[in-house]
Parts: sequence; structure tokens; C-alpha cells
Amino acid sequence: MSTLGTRLIDALGAGVALTQPEDLAAYAFDAYSEDRLPTAAIVPRDAREVGIAVRIARECGEPVVPRGAGTGLCGGAVPRNGGLVVSFARMNRVLELDARNKRARVQPGLINLELSKAIAAHGVFYAPDPASQKISTIGGNVGTNAGGPHCLSYGTTTNHILGLEYVDGEGAVHRTALDEPGYDLTGVLVGSEGTLGIVTEIDVRLMKLPEAVRVGVAAFADVESASEAVSAIIGAGIVPTALEIMDKLIVDAVEAHFHAGFPLGSGAVLLVEVAGAEDDMDESETVLAKIARAHGALSWRTARDAAERDALWASRKGAAGAIGRIAPNYYIQDACVPRTRLPQVMHEIDRIAREYRLPVGNVFHAGDGNLHPLLIFDRRVPREVQAVIDAGTEILRTCIAMGGTISGEHGIGYEKRESLSLVFGPDDLAAMGRVRDVFDPGRGFNPDKIFPSGAVCGEVKRANVA
Amino acid sequence: MIAPSALALGNLTPRTVEEPADAHAVAAALKAAAQAGEAAILVGGGTLMGIGNAPARYDRAIVLRRLNRIAAYDPRDLTIGIEAGATLAAVTERLEAEGQFIPFDAPRPRSATVGGTLASGWAGPRRAAYGHLRDLVIGTTVALCDGTLAAAGGMVVKNVTGYDMSKLYVGSLGTLAAIVRANFKTLPLPATQRLAVAPLTASGEERAVSALAQVSIEPAAALVVRGFFGSTPRVNDEVSRLVVLFEGSAASVERATRELRSHLGAAGIGQTILHEGRAAGQALQALVDATIEPLADRSVTYRARGLPTDAWMRMDTVRARIEDLGLDADTIADLRTGDAFVRVAAAARETLESMLIEADAVVRHVLSRAALLAGEPELRARLDAWGPVPTTIATMRELKTRFDPSGTLAPGRYVGGI
Repeated sequence: MSTLGTRLIDALGAGVALTQPEDLAAYAFDAYSEDRLPTAAIVPRDAREVGIAVRIARECGEPVVPRGAGTGLCGGAVPRNGGLVVSFARMNRVLELDARNKRARVQPGLINLELSKAIAAHGVFYAPDPASQKISTIGGNVGTNAGGPHCLSYGTTTNHILGLEYVDGEGAVHRTALDEPGYDLTGVLVGSEGTLGIVTEIDVRLMKLPEAVRVGVAAFADVESASEAVSAIIGAGIVPTALEIMDKLIVDAVEAHFHAGFPLGSGAVLLVEVAGAEDDMDESETVLAKIARAHGALSWRTARDAAERDALWASRKGAAGAIGRIAPNYYIQDACVPRTRLPQVMHEIDRIAREYRLPVGNVFHAGDGNLHPLLIFDRRVPREVQAVIDAGTEILRTCIAMGGTISGEHGIGYEKRESLSLVFGPDDLAAMGRVRDVFDPGRGFNPDKIFPSGAVCGEVKRANVA
Repeated sequence: MIAPSALALGNLTPRTVEEPADAHAVAAALKAAAQAGEAAILVGGGTLMGIGNAPARYDRAIVLRRLNRIAAYDPRDLTIGIEAGATLAAVTERLEAEGQFIPFDAPRPRSATVGGTLASGWAGPRRAAYGHLRDLVIGTTVALCDGTLAAAGGMVVKNVTGYDMSKLYVGSLGTLAAIVRANFKTLPLPATQRLAVAPLTASGEERAVSALAQVSIEPAAALVVRGFFGSTPRVNDEVSRLVVLFEGSAASVERATRELRSHLGAAGIGQTILHEGRAAGQALQALVDATIEPLADRSVTYRARGLPTDAWMRMDTVRARIEDLGLDADTIADLRTGDAFVRVAAAARETLESMLIEADAVVRHVLSRAALLAGEPELRARLDAWGPVPTTIATMRELKTRFDPSGTLAPGRYVGGI
């Protein structure tokens, strides 16, 4: 057994520390890739145990990788260099709920959807709703600043985090709060993908459940015209709570799986939700339907009741899974462009996919300009694997050229770290390096993530001498 | 040219005033100051200079007002890129022409700049409805003391590409870097704005707060304002008023008003004055302006954060205890955000001077997270602007060292003497 493993078992016991390969196998992968086994893993019960483990890992010279549910799509939770994986499977409770002040304190291992379920009776909900919300954790969501369909009006995870408890590189436990004077450490920690500290408690902002919700579905001949409708809705000064597009390939797969009632045979489907006062619902629906028709909608339908709405959302959020039924393998890309560039970027994605002879499905947060092309391939065919990599990179370059960026909500992780320098120059990265130097000078937290392999050492050096 | 005396802070006057014309010139100015070992204060509109301690040293003022362009704005994207020196009023005017807005809700928008408002960490009364300014910022470019320019975020509304550096700069009071540009999400203007003002007697406050809590539509802003009559007109002989802003569709605002009047009426509060549209916005702005308005040279004003459900009670307590000291207190309790404002004053300056330390202790005891917001510089200089340091202060100090190793930017102004 490794020194790390022995010391962890001595300090925390075999009930918390895992060292056997068969136990560690569960912590070797995320939804992006499977890599190597960690040297050891812990399933702690509180921040104190995390602190002890971090201190031991540091003394052993082993990196520390935090892990939620492992649904990340960029390799952020993969222990690239072995080391210690911290799983939050046991720290999964709602610790405090203050519904009147719309806040709650939760543990990082709490599953996203479980939070909203647990508090719904109090008339409040937690807004960020990544498609993975049935399994992904709030802690993991904090790490990647996760989004979701309802970001459109509610904002991403960072807009809903009021404070954090985190363990630093020396194993000490700290608490941040937006309400306190001083630098906004909370805001810096959210989205840092586990590279600055290990979050052990989260204060979340809750919202009042809307009085009324309407969900409409419009069918279009193609993705471009659906995208034009989205631009027109936003341009008309309407911000629905969600505005999602699925193309034919996705709709067909989703319907085969879920039978939620999306119109088959059209080139694209627009899913739009408005929420708010009951008084406003009829007019909102009328305006949305009118804009959709003016942009070539072939049909418009409103979900009759909550059950139908939930079915539509469940199938939208299960889209990636449904694709798994019809494709040997798929690669989901995540990029974001200014909203007006949507029709153009969709056209380019189509061109790139054809050029590389790859089927592509599109399911995306159209209202936010947040794209998720799914490139379908067969891992056993080397040409296709290379084509996916090349096409993915070309899509990212196209988005950057349109004023966009390389991740809207999945993060950079291991997958896109070399692409970070397509977006940011050395001076930009150096400023980020300064922050990393403060929180994690020894680079013990989730190394090899976010930052380009070559650049970062040089940049860090620069920051040190500045 | 701005005279150095116009930019004095505490009892310090800068030797030079620089007004760089663009981002590169700002970076060069910071680098020059750092190399000369001199301290520089970044200045926008100067409206919120009452936040923070007086600087330990102050050699150069670097004024960012010449960076005042709208750098990028396609209304259909609902995003805008703005240079730091643009005034809030100029930005608002440009946005309103396209039916959009950013809820800056900061004092004196004709003078206040985008950069200064962000650096001060200003957070307005509509943030429960529309988001804190920090949450509407989607990208920044800053100038650093080594002469470089560093960008973060971008012009898209969802972005997890590298660290969210913008969060670090917002609220850092110009102690880490100079914000030279900020990109924001914009919002469509609400179709209807209505401000309802209910004059209250002292005993009516609590009933008004309970009545508002029963309204089923959340207001965009809701305040209990006691005093501050110099800044907003007094209707009768009321001592206080409930101020509620509803924004949204005409139908929802109408229903909200009806519910509010009905619940207030049941609580024995019969009168509600309505301000519509532009007048509603102006009335709310007047209250926001009032929060930094000093009473001649005989007041100090604090701002504190807290829980919305406690806001009124804390204000009521702090006012009573300040009055026990023989001083006056104007107060605002923000029922939506939990913010509390208290302006401590006396009829004669000597009275305030003699009781200043006691009053400060009372405010900080009742409002645990109170920070100084405004007031006469000599009085302020006798108080710590920030109160107890946060437990993460060591990390904050280390950030300061990494970003500003020579201690060039606003030394001593920030939390914990940063």
C-alpha cells in the first residue's frame, strides 16, 4: 500500500479512506474520460476530515482532486497523476434552510435536484439546473459554475452562491461570505474547478417559486430559422426563463426514448418557458407564438399542465442520454457565442460536421448563445476519432472568431486546457496565475486542469517576479 | 485639468493628477507610479470616496474619466462593453434608447462612473429582483501595476473559461488593479414601473412591514425610510414611510398595488401615494442619493448587510439606541436585500464629536457588518471604516501582495488596512 494510503487509514480509518484498487476504480473517471486510478480516495464526513487528508496528501507530495458525482464532461475530476480523490458522497445533506430569507446551507455532495425537491414545500427553489441535475452535486456545480436551461433569466451557479466553506492547501478550514467586507473570494472560488481549494459547505441563494409557468414548443424547418426566432424573441425585449433548441437528430432520439410529445419530422424544435405572475402568462404566450410564426414556425403548442411540462423538460435534459441509444459514441462540445451570432454559428457547425463526415446533433441553450453540438462517431474507427478531435477544435475556433468563448458551462478541465490560450493571452493568464499562487502555491489542488501545460509555469514565474 | 485639492482624501492631497486617455495609458501610469515607489488612488466620479479608510499615502491621483466610450453594444445581444470612466447616466441613456437597462442604482449617476461603481462594490436596492452588479458583469479588462492589461470573461452571458477574475476586481476599491473596461449583461426595461409610498407614524412601521410581506408579487425594491427628509419631500407630518417599487407588466403591477393597498388598509395605513414610470425611478434614485448625503459637517453614514427579515428590526433598534445617546439617526431598512443604512448626526458638531466613539460602538453592535459609507472626513478618520476583519484576511493580504507587490494602489484604504 502507498504511504498516502497507509497514513490516511491511520488517521481516518478504513471506513473513510479507500486504498484498494477495486474501491479506487470508481474514482478513476468522469464523463469525459477514464484515466488512471488515484493513489487513494476518501469519503469524508466533515470538513475536519478533509483538512486532515489534505494535510497528509501534501506531506506525501500527492495531488488532491475533489469529486462530486463525476458527471463532468471535461475531465475535471480525473486524477491525471494519481493522488488523493475526495468524494463527497457522504456529505450530502441540507444543513440549514431559511426559506423566508431565501437561503440554505448545504453540503457539497448534495444532489442538485434533491435540494429543490427538499425545499419546494416552503415555496422556494434553487435555480441552477444543469441537465445532469438528477445526479450531479451542488459541490460539482460550484466547481464548474454549472449552468442549465434556466440560466437564461436566473443566471449561472455563481449568481446563486452566497458563501462557501473551504479547505486550503494546508488543511485549514475557512469561510467566505458575500455579505462580509473584503475581496470576493466566494466569486473567485466558484468555477475554479477544484484548483484553489476544496469546498466543504455551500450557502445557496434560493428563489421564490413562480406563481405560474408556461412551456411552449414550436417546430421549425431548420436550426437556422429556429435560431432566428430566438434572436427575435431576445431582441423584442422578452427574457423567457428558458429558450432551448433541439435539432432533428436530437428530437428523434429524444422522442424514441421519452415520448414526451415533441413534433417529429421538423428540422428543429424550440422549447420556450416563461414564468411569473399568472396575469402575464396569456400575453407572453401570445407574443412568443406570434414571433415564432413570423420566423417560420410550422407549429406551436403549449404544454397543458405541469405533468406535460415536466415530461418535456425531462426529455430535454435527457437528450445526451437518448443519443447514447442511437450512436456508438458521441462527443458533446460546449461553447458560447453572442446571441446574434447563433444562426451563423449553427450554419458553420453544420459545414464543419459535413467537412469531417461526422453526423452532428445540436441541443443547446439558444437564449444564452450556449452551444452543445454532439458529434457522433465510433471509437473503434481511428479516422473518426481524429475527425472528432479536429472538428471539435475547429468549432471552438469558429466560436472564438465570432466573439465567443470555449466553455459556457462545462468548464475547461483537462480536455480544453490547451485551448485556453486561444481565448486568453499571456498577460491574462498571468493574472489568473497570481490568484492560483495565493490559494495553491504548491499546485497540489487538481493540477493539470484549466491552464495550458506549457504556458502556466512560465506565467507563474512571471507573476512571482512582478 | 482637475486640481489636486479637489481630490483630497482625509488630510492628504495628491501631488499630481493624471488623466490617462486610454487603457494602455492607465497601465503605463500604474507602472510609473509603482516604479517611483509612489502611492496612487484611482478616481472615477468621486461619489463614493467616503467608502474605506483614508489612504496611508497618496502621491498621485489617476482619474479614469477620459475612458468614457461605449466600447461595444449590439442591443440584440443584450450585452454591452463600457469603458470605466463612462458615467452611469450616460450608459443608462444609451441603454434606454434601446429599451434596456442595467440596475446600477448607485448615488449621483451623472457623476458616478461604471468603474468606480464596480470598484466600490456598490449594490443597489433592486438586486434581489435583477441581480447584484457583480452578477451582471460578464467580463473585465484591468490595468495592473506591472504595466500589463489583463482580460477576463468576455462578451457572452455564460462563461467558465478560466478564473472568474472579474469577481475579484469588483468591490476591491482599486487596491488590486484598475478596471479599464467592464462588460455587462443588459436587461429589457420593465413595461411598467410604479413606486408606492405609504407615510407612516413610528408605530406604523412594523405593521407596514407585515402588510408588505403578504403581497403575493415580489416588489423590485422595498424600503422603510425613517428621516432623510432633506433629500425626499415630506408629505404630512409622518416620521417614516414604506417605499415599494413594483416593476413588470401593467397587469401584474396593478394587482400588486391592489394587494398592497388592501393589506396596508387592513393594518390601518390608509394613504398610499403612487409615482408612475419615470417619476417612480426618480423617486427611488433620490433615496439612493440620500444614502451618501452628509448633513453638513455633522454626520457619518454606515451601510450594513444582513438578512431581509431582520432589516427593519435592526434599524429600529439602532435608531433607538442612537437617540438614547442624544444623537439623531436617519435610517433605511431594505426589506428585499437586508441592507441597512444609518446616518448618525447631531444638531451641533461638537455633540457628535463627543459621542462619536460611543455611537460607532452602538452601530457596530447592532449591525455586525457595518461599514462607513459617507460623512465628514475628519470624523471618519477617527473611525475604522470596515469593522472587524473577515477570517480570510490572510488570503486577502496575500492577494494584495501578488497583484500590487509595491503597495502602489490605495494603501491602507481597504479592509484590514490593505
